[in-house]
Amino acid sequence: MTVPAPLSGQPVDLSDCAREPIHLPGSIQPHGALLVLRPDTLEVLQASRNAAELLGLPIWPTGATPPGAPAALGDTLRAVLGDWLLAPGAAPLHTVALGQRQFQLSGHLGPQGLLLEFEPALPGELESLDALYPHLRRFVDQLEAEADIAALAQLAACEVRRITGFHRVLVYRFDEDWHGTVIAEDGDGSLPSYLDLRFPASDIPPQARELYRRNRLRLIPDAGYLPVPVEPALSPLDGRPLDLSAAALRSVSPVHLEYMRNMGTAASMSVSILVDGRLWGLVSCHHAGPRQVGPQIRSACDFLAQILALQLAARAQGAEAAERLKLKELEAGLLARVAQAPSVQDGLLDQPDAWLALASAQGAAVLREHGVSRTGRTPDETQLQALAAWLHQQGKPAVFATHELPALYPPAQAWADSGCGVLAVSISALHPHYILWFRPELVHTVRWGGPPDKPAPGEDGRLHPRRSFSMWTEQVRGSSARWSAAQLEVVQSFRNAVVSFVLRRAEERAQLSERLEASNRELEAFSYSISHDLRAPFRHIVGYAQLLGEREAALDTRSRHYLDSIVESALAAGQLVDDLLAFSQLGRSTLSMTAVDMDKLLDEVRRSVRIDQGNRQVEWRTGPLPPAWGDAALLRQALSNLIGNALKYTRPRECAVIEITGEQRDGETVYSVRDNGVGFDMAYAGKLFGVFQRLHRAEDFEGSGIGLALARRILERHGGWISADGRLDQGAVFRFGLPATPHENSADA
Amino acid sequence: MHNNKLRPILLVEDNPKDLELALAALQRCQLANPVEVARDGAEALDYLYGRGRWLNRVAGDPAVVLLDLKLPKIDGLEVLERVKSDPLLRQVPVVMLTSSREERDLVHSYELGVNAFVVKPVDFHAFLQAIQDLGMFWGVLNEPPPRGGRNA
Repeated sequence: MTVPAPLSGQPVDLSDCAREPIHLPGSIQPHGALLVLRPDTLEVLQASRNAAELLGLPIWPTGATPPGAPAALGDTLRAVLGDWLLAPGAAPLHTVALGQRQFQLSGHLGPQGLLLEFEPALPGELESLDALYPHLRRFVDQLEAEADIAALAQLAACEVRRITGFHRVLVYRFDEDWHGTVIAEDGDGSLPSYLDLRFPASDIPPQARELYRRNRLRLIPDAGYLPVPVEPALSPLDGRPLDLSAAALRSVSPVHLEYMRNMGTAASMSVSILVDGRLWGLVSCHHAGPRQVGPQIRSACDFLAQILALQLAARAQGAEAAERLKLKELEAGLLARVAQAPSVQDGLLDQPDAWLALASAQGAAVLREHGVSRTGRTPDETQLQALAAWLHQQGKPAVFATHELPALYPPAQAWADSGCGVLAVSISALHPHYILWFRPELVHTVRWGGPPDKPAPGEDGRLHPRRSFSMWTEQVRGSSARWSAAQLEVVQSFRNAVVSFVLRRAEERAQLSERLEASNRELEAFSYSISHDLRAPFRHIVGYAQLLGEREAALDTRSRHYLDSIVESALAAGQLVDDLLAFSQLGRSTLSMTAVDMDKLLDEVRRSVRIDQGNRQVEWRTGPLPPAWGDAALLRQALSNLIGNALKYTRPRECAVIEITGEQRDGETVYSVRDNGVGFDMAYAGKLFGVFQRLHRAEDFEGSGIGLALARRILERHGGWISADGRLDQGAVFRFGLPATPHENSADA
Repeated sequence: MHNNKLRPILLVEDNPKDLELALAALQRCQLANPVEVARDGAEALDYLYGRGRWLNRVAGDPAVVLLDLKLPKIDGLEVLERVKSDPLLRQVPVVMLTSSREERDLVHSYELGVNAFVVKPVDFHAFLQAIQDLGMFWGVLNEPPPRGGRNA
């Protein structure tokens, strides 16, 4: 037996299998005959070489030698075709008698003419259609009762084998990558079991799958057949090779025949299972020897496969609907909490289980401007940041999912145990902000029906399919479980809600800052009016009280005391207003930064406090201070406040010791003011710098309690800091640091 | 110490208490200069331009205008602006005498050409001292422009 090479004379490469034009073989299988007629005249355009002999008619196609005549078709056939041409439907068309023989006639009308296929009726076939009905009926009843897909497929396999009598019937299911797995099998043991084995996508190349979709049923009764050429090879109507896509008799690829022989099957039939127009799987029948199956039985098998497909579609839709419902409930719950939470990440972290369940993930993370929040098994923060940056850079769609991240993003190999699969939802158009779900690597074993190699060219220069069908197992790594369509959908809708939520929050923030600005303006107006209107009455009180005191020289001691108290209180209130005003102005005024001679500043401050010092004994310990960089007037105020403090709290001491030092450190200048005064309890150190915070009774030490707050505000506005260290009755030390000048930094370098 | 003794001090103050205290303070300085009082910005301008109730006043500019910042009708800054933008008046010394410690008032006043800016101290003795110093300086020590401006 010789099988012509599909692409003889051309160089062969591994993709040839996918390029082979299998719908244009130019020949048919010998168990029937083919005629192509001109639809209007019923003139024979093309015929298989076996047509005249098989049909017992003197048919010769137009142009062939000797020339044929349309009349040769016979009146019966002409009548049948005449009726059929009025309403051309699908095969099978009819049973016709030609001479002494009965034929099953099927046909279809195409651009190249009316293709008629004749198959000799098999003994007993004529009554079998009625006989098939109870089988189909029982099959439908049983299908209804079965819940899961494997059981449905098993029923189909058994029923097809019962109807057809093949040695082995498989139900074969395609996955997303077009690998196929045998999910059900029924056999009599003549051929080996393939149950649970996987067959590579390359076993059925794309154009073959497309033919499976267009033409649901194929039969090869004898893999060792000799193809019968159709003559002439080119259609007289369009001058092109005859398209046999829809022909049941179409000759198959020699590669396929070789594949069958390697597999040990002499006959095969396959019926496509189409779910929603997509090739879901195949019912695949095999026989150790040649086996013919008539058109009626084939139709019954097709019918059966279609019922199965409908059931599968219904089950899938049911399962998907249930999954969607469950996910929608989860989503609604999650969103409700997220909407109430102060932020998206808080809302998600508040309910980690629901967050993970939304995408059936083992880990999840959210990345926003304030950092990363995680739950479950995820890569670490740095890895997450890098991943987000990559996603952002790649301009991935708003919802991006993969179950094979390491293949797309190699750094993910390092954390395959937590994130081989990622589902990423972008929640900002401008920033790499994402909600991410992770699935760990799923190392699984695939049992291949032989090594999944593509057909390879042999020594003879033509393609050969693989020869081994013995089981071969493979460890698959680098992938996680797949994300389902329902999960992607719900995550998309979740994203939309979160994004609008984030936007709303941003708007609210904008509103808030507007309100804040307005209230700042009010505050400013308030401080302005304090400046004007509150100082005046205090001045009046003091003024009139003092005038009164001068007029009434003869006031008794008690009245004099009352009058003095009025003046003192009003003065204190005036001072408080001034301090408060200075504090509020500090936030608004701009700093004029210069190099400040701190020794000179300290001298000025010491001179100004001399009055406070009075006759007290004060021992000043001051060394040369390093210069500072800042607003001289404000720094003077800060230093003055600290020294004033030191003087105040050393009052009970016979001799106050006040030490002021400074040192240049790395990037900053640090000064300290130390005293031997009453000190403070470190437990209250945090309160020391608060506005109007006092640690001592008002009658012990005067002051509004704003001096240290003012000092802190001054230093913070300089980008510096202040701290205090003290012990009750053992003195205190205040330190403050100022950032070094840029000038000094460059001088260091 | 000659011409100035004759020139009045114009005190512009709307608050009666401040006015009373300021007058008390000026009295104690024992300055020979008379003190004229305007109760708002409009009156101050009336005095300076010799109109309204000062239509028949003796011609001549005051030795100094002690101007409160916050005034009814026309406020202190506006009066200052009018004085300093009028070629006939701009040589008249104007001292802002105010309760305000607001930096922007200070800045604005100097921008408009104020001659001095004094924040009224809360302490009456300090206030007395400030008024006294002002009176002494502008009323006695300060030499007015040659020929005393337009009325020489």
